[in-house]
Amino acid sequence: MHDPGPHPMARRTVEKATLVTYASKEPSAFAEMLGGLIEANVRANPQKRRDFDVLKARVGIWVTDIDEGVTLVFDAGHLIVYNDLQPPRTITIRAEAETVMSLSNLKIGVFGLPVYYDGVGRGVALKLLQGKLKIDGMLPNIATVNRVTRIFSVQ
Amino acid sequence: MAVQAFSDEWAAQFKDEVNKSAAYKAAGKGWKWTVGLVVEAEPDKHFPESRGLVMDLFDGDARDIRVGSAGDAQKCDFVITAPYTRWKQVATKELDATKGMLQGKLKLKGDLPTIVRYTKASQELTECTTRVPTQWPDEQ
Repeated sequence: MHDPGPHPMARRTVEKATLVTYASKEPSAFAEMLGGLIEANVRANPQKRRDFDVLKARVGIWVTDIDEGVTLVFDAGHLIVYNDLQPPRTITIRAEAETVMSLSNLKIGVFGLPVYYDGVGRGVALKLLQGKLKIDGMLPNIATVNRVTRIFSVQ
Repeated sequence: MAVQAFSDEWAAQFKDEVNKSAAYKAAGKGWKWTVGLVVEAEPDKHFPESRGLVMDLFDGDARDIRVGSAGDAQKCDFVITAPYTRWKQVATKELDATKGMLQGKLKLKGDLPTIVRYTKASQELTECTTRVPTQWPDEQ
């Protein structure tokens, strides 16, 4: 006879793993926006998910024209978003709001490298050359910069 | 002639400006979602009731832009909410809409990757609001 009682499997629910958490109980609007953007990207794109699952880095982003920033602590499959810049950091990106948005619009080309030869890419490269986009720690961590760019990009 | 902010006439002129904009036509290519702007009431600024602007934008064109209730705007695919004064700052170029969103001065609801992909289009929409000659209730 079929057991009519509750079966343990019936109560088991499949929970969506938490990918992004916020260090502060009151995350800034910028922190929520970046955290939300990265979570949506990673959930929607398997390549971005693979990058997210291996990335271990502390990334600071400072938006110079609104005097706000965040620190993204990537820990191989999980991200904690802190308000403001928190030491230590692997890389720190400093740019105006428009440039930060451009970074998230960089296309990703062959070998998973950001494309710097289209309109958006040229704009970002020019900002780097002009010093309007500064990435502290870029040279020794170029692979991390590329991986963060891939995760961050909505293209 | 200047029109009352967030009135039917204002919405009609805003729609005309969007459809005249070559920059929006290019930047909005591929966009196919509705956008609602919620303008929250500020009675002390002579804007006593919240209003909604419902925008049917498609592939670089404004098919319809109309004034409705805040509830109408909240039903759209993307919703941006701010008090009357903030919207006035946006429409008079005192506040950049992108910065406003990053600072939480304008609250955005909707798929973030999509809105980020269309940053240029949203900047151009903002530009279009600045071209509508507007009478602001708090200045009368």
